[in-house]
Amino acid sequence: MTMDGGKFFGAFRASSGITDAVVLNHVPVGCNWGAGIFKTTSNQFDMRHACTVMHEREIVFGGEDALREALIRADELYDTPLLLVIAGDAPSIIGDDVEAVVDSVTLDSEVMWMEAAGFKGSAMDGYEEALLCIAGLMKESETIQDSVNLIGFSPDDFKVDADVKEIRRLLSDAGVEVNTVISKCSLEEFRRAPAAELNVVLGQGTKLCEQMKKEFGLPYLKMDYPYGLDGTSHFVGAISDELGIGHEPEFDIEPFKRIYLYLHELYGTPVSVIGDFHAEAMANFLDGELGFNVEVLSGNEDDYFEFAEDVRNSNTTILFGSSFEQGIAETLDIPLIRFCYPVFDNVSVYDCAPYAGYRGAVCLTEAIINTVMSYGGMNK
Amino acid sequence: MQMSKQLQQAAHNGGSPLREIFRDRVFNGIHQGTTWQFHRYGINCKLSGSVYAVSEIEGAVPLIHGPAGCAFHQRLTPRKMYAPIYNLPCTNLDENDVIYGGEDKLRDKINEVYRKFHPQLIAVLPTCVSGLVGDDVPGVITELDLPCDVLHVPSEGFAHRSRESLDVLMRDFAESWKDPSRSPAYDLRGCGHEEVMFSIVDQLMEEQEIAENLVNIESFGRFTYGFRSELVEIKHIFGEMGVSVNLTLPTCTVDEIKRAPAAELNIVTRNLRWAERMKERFGNDYLRKWFFYFGLDGVEKFYHDCASKLDLNGVADGAIRIEKTQSLQELERYQKVFARDDFAVSTQGFFFTPYLARIYALDLKLPIKYLCVDMQLLKALNISEETIEVMEKNMQEAFDEWDLGFEVVTNPTLGEMSEIAKKVDHVLSDRITPPIYEKGGGVGVMDISATRYLLFRTGFSGIVEFGKYLTRELNTGKTHQNSREPIISRFDYDTIYYPMLDDDRCSASREMWSGMWGMKSVGCDDNGRR
Repeated sequence: MTMDGGKFFGAFRASSGITDAVVLNHVPVGCNWGAGIFKTTSNQFDMRHACTVMHEREIVFGGEDALREALIRADELYDTPLLLVIAGDAPSIIGDDVEAVVDSVTLDSEVMWMEAAGFKGSAMDGYEEALLCIAGLMKESETIQDSVNLIGFSPDDFKVDADVKEIRRLLSDAGVEVNTVISKCSLEEFRRAPAAELNVVLGQGTKLCEQMKKEFGLPYLKMDYPYGLDGTSHFVGAISDELGIGHEPEFDIEPFKRIYLYLHELYGTPVSVIGDFHAEAMANFLDGELGFNVEVLSGNEDDYFEFAEDVRNSNTTILFGSSFEQGIAETLDIPLIRFCYPVFDNVSVYDCAPYAGYRGAVCLTEAIINTVMSYGGMNK
Repeated sequence: MQMSKQLQQAAHNGGSPLREIFRDRVFNGIHQGTTWQFHRYGINCKLSGSVYAVSEIEGAVPLIHGPAGCAFHQRLTPRKMYAPIYNLPCTNLDENDVIYGGEDKLRDKINEVYRKFHPQLIAVLPTCVSGLVGDDVPGVITELDLPCDVLHVPSEGFAHRSRESLDVLMRDFAESWKDPSRSPAYDLRGCGHEEVMFSIVDQLMEEQEIAENLVNIESFGRFTYGFRSELVEIKHIFGEMGVSVNLTLPTCTVDEIKRAPAAELNIVTRNLRWAERMKERFGNDYLRKWFFYFGLDGVEKFYHDCASKLDLNGVADGAIRIEKTQSLQELERYQKVFARDDFAVSTQGFFFTPYLARIYALDLKLPIKYLCVDMQLLKALNISEETIEVMEKNMQEAFDEWDLGFEVVTNPTLGEMSEIAKKVDHVLSDRITPPIYEKGGGVGVMDISATRYLLFRTGFSGIVEFGKYLTRELNTGKTHQNSREPIISRFDYDTIYYPMLDDDRCSASREMWSGMWGMKSVGCDDNGRR
């Protein structure tokens, strides 16, 4: 058992990151529900997705009519520049000709489509291919000096707004402008992505970077997600160096001084971490800066039962992951710090409380200490 | 033991049933209530209903036969948002399996799940993919030789009910308000729960000698607020009647399910199909809990009907009468307080509305001047204008016949509500509408949306508890809260689909869903309209 959402989920997350686009899922009701329910935890009125409601009739007679009807309706109902059609498992198996349907209708909105059957790949595959699909909308733009695109985000990442805001602030202090955040941008921002001087890819979106390098000559830099003081310094420093700015970021250690005794007591705490590409960077912060012992580190593509077994056989006392890890945490009677997708039992709406960057290091440390102190572990 | 003590013990930490309801509302409702709103934009997969139902069975493990992505999101089943199904094994079908079939993988995975969890029951839940590929799930299961039971539940996600089914059911309910004998004897097509119930009857239950005066109760888990203490009361009243509860289905163990046919009677809460199948296979009679079992007379009728089914006519009358009389006596104290003032009650149009109004007017004896009924909510559930008209007409006829004496105001505007509020002492709302009325410090409305769950119980004490609660609130003056301006009252809402925000994207997505789902209905035009 893995904790990977599959190709459809990845494609949905990348597509819905175009914030003024509408995603039309060509799927039965459940796939549409599942992807939407995780997306809306911290943004409950961001309803920009719909589905073709593939039913038994479509399974028998094909879903092309339903798709055509849905496209026409969506074009009438939504004021959007872009309709993104994602064909999931069912149309892939029954062989719906999505391209022919899309070509057969003339709509006000631009339409792009992608095949993303869940069984055909991982969530990261879906994310990569969705971005490649819409990359065709990018246009050659005049380069903006010392600017970067940040690639690898999704609109339903936990703390995404706060993290992006903090990263923008840090890069701005270094004299670097953020041109486009992918996939958390408008269609126009996406189109103008080639204006950046550098692509910075965080975990996923490498194929898009390769494509942009080929088409627009845009270089790219693969970076870890900027958790912690050192992680952030490295992140900002590397980008700054790449752009030839040579900025040396500074951070304030004072907030940590105020809670230094707690940090002493937590030093050496055995912890375990699981997640997508965020996990390794998180583990580096926990180990390298808080002095925790990371006993088990696992990716979403790894076997989840093995991860659970390894955690059970370890001395783990704090778990870091998604909301899905609450089961293991409850079994072991230890707290869970949620930091990566999907988080559906915590909300993150305040955009000044990041987990990324210098301020994020403070917020994250605060969250860990507060969780531990209020957990009541000794009373259970 | 005294009934009140039993109820307190059943409620969390020895609190009252009312506190239990508030706890369920907070800790379950924050997930469940929110998720319910998302039904304006779509419905969940049949698979998720099946995952939920299997997760209620102690000793059972659900196994998803499909791609990893299905298991990924079905862990968070809408019926159990407060407790995701963390261990949800899956056959992880890939492209190769779509071409060559996934039966080998299923066979291996069932064996693996047994080795890993040693469950008493593995419930195999096929998905759209395995359904389309045509894997012979029952065939694979039959070949296995494992020391546990293996169940097949047809849960493919593309096979769900059509939009018009709820419309038809609602109309038939409305037709039976004045004459309950005309209650519709059919169900909506399953949403996964029903399929599990049918499968356990068909594949798991074993022939038993039927024991006299033994009943099974179909539960709906913790989805119903206050279920724990309600069940205690049901058992108590049955106990006084000389009836025992065998089990609650499907919230029980695998062994208990096997022994379920020992019961003489099944109490059906949701769907009839499984109970009909039990009757066919094992001869167990059943009784469906209908809307007309609400209210003191309704509850009394329910227990009398059970007694009748169990051949206890006359024998159980005394016990039921004692319970009801005690409640009536206690209620009298509260009715004297209510009699001092005039009330308006704001409620929603649904299949239980007339019977809920009866409880307010006849059981609690609230002097109601206006009953404000929001029928617009029904549109969000895709109920047609024709059905809504039938409901309004039949509701009014029922009120006239019962001589409830209030004026019915359908879909009142904010201005009308404001005028009504001036003519009464208190406005009560049994759904969360006060934020609309409080907008700009407007109409003061007392929110009874959580406490109204006390009124739907299959027992007499809930109505008494409600009366006690309302009395306390009236005495403390908490029914007038129009001087505050909660944050949620500062948003603009869609007037028809409240609490949906007045937002173009939300409206478009709702309309998109409604239209596309409508196209799946028989008898609809090309625009999904009937």
